[in-house]
Amino acid sequence: MFLHVDPDSGLAIYDQIVRQIKFAVATGALPPGEMAPSVRELARELTVNLNTVSKAYQQLQVEGVLESVRGMGLAVATGALKQCRAERVTLVQERLHEVLWEARQSGLDGDEIQKLIAAEMPAIDKKLAAKLKGK
Amino acid sequence: MITIDNAPIIRLDNVTKRYGRELALDGVSFEVPRGMIFALLGENGAGKTTTIRALLGLGQPDAGKLEVLGLDCRTQGLEIRQRAGCVFEKPTLYEWMTVDEIGWYTSGFYGAGFLPRYRQMAAQFELPATRKIKELSKGMKAKVALALSLGHDPELLILDEPTSGLDPMVRREFLERMVDRTATGKTVFLSSHQIHEVERVADMVAILRHGKLLLCERLERLKEEITELTVTLAEGFAQPPEIAGEVLRQSRRSRQWQILTRGAQPPDIESLRLHESVAEVAVRKPNLEEIFTAYMQ
Repeated sequence: MFLHVDPDSGLAIYDQIVRQIKFAVATGALPPGEMAPSVRELARELTVNLNTVSKAYQQLQVEGVLESVRGMGLAVATGALKQCRAERVTLVQERLHEVLWEARQSGLDGDEIQKLIAAEMPAIDKKLAAKLKGK
Repeated sequence: MITIDNAPIIRLDNVTKRYGRELALDGVSFEVPRGMIFALLGENGAGKTTTIRALLGLGQPDAGKLEVLGLDCRTQGLEIRQRAGCVFEKPTLYEWMTVDEIGWYTSGFYGAGFLPRYRQMAAQFELPATRKIKELSKGMKAKVALALSLGHDPELLILDEPTSGLDPMVRREFLERMVDRTATGKTVFLSSHQIHEVERVADMVAILRHGKLLLCERLERLKEEITELTVTLAEGFAQPPEIAGEVLRQSRRSRQWQILTRGAQPPDIESLRLHESVAEVAVRKPNLEEIFTAYMQ
């Protein structure tokens, strides 16, 4: 798992860490049972403040993505994969909300937006099919 | 047992310093809690170096109280300099000594653990032990200074513009070390105008401007509370409605207003969106540099 933080991204650094770890879990880069890097290790690697990493880990623990393994540190929780995948849907929904808001602001009505979506879907399906074939 | 661990490691109370007619520090007060990275920001000439010199007992302020590690900076400067680790922007090192010799020489002023720790760090920094200081690059000299300042594993590391003029790899080494210090509960106090770096590593920031302290607080809180709103007005309106919170800066370009506000909550922004005079609101979290600039205006 490789993380990257950017203080300019508009998201708090701890939030970026939370999201990227969830993303890594959802894609399988960080499978359930695997140990997360220690706070100190990750803080050093990203050259960010220790408390920033602690805060991200605390939140991931509260949300049940990471769980503490006695004497070892934090590992990806068993149920995390399902949860992180579900959360990706929520994130997509949030982004969709913004795009749809922008669409309505620009004067498109519901029908026109539906048409746009319907027009984009075949192109996306085609891309996905090509990717699967490539594997 | 009395523990003093909760006492701030640095304390300034109403410190004033004049150079001739110029007021270099003007009633500056702040405290640095233990175990964190604290960054003092400001433009050149804002009073950052004056502050650090005063903290180390190298320049007597005209008024006010200063304490470092519970010691009085006016009378116990020598002890402060001995106990804290310090790195200056332009470190003065004995140029004729080798990397190893200067470690050995400096270890004479400290305890037994100094030399092994220095050597270990010099090896980690990939410093050639037998090369003379005068033959080292600027970045390598900076690393020697850092290794010397950390040889006695000080409770407090003070850095004056540590990374300015250094190449990215050396800067990274410095930042990693700073983060590492706090992992063992040690404190780092640095002055810098590398705002991007500070933004990644600092727990607290203070901003000096023309010798006055503009703010001193937790970076996380500062970033959380400040929002940039770009408001596009609906046709027929010349001004956006009143915005909740403290407006730090605002500018206008034709139908758009860009407003940096502190303390506006999501419901405030939502009701701004729904206001009749507003066509659109774009919300963004500014970086520390933008916040810094807003406060400097």
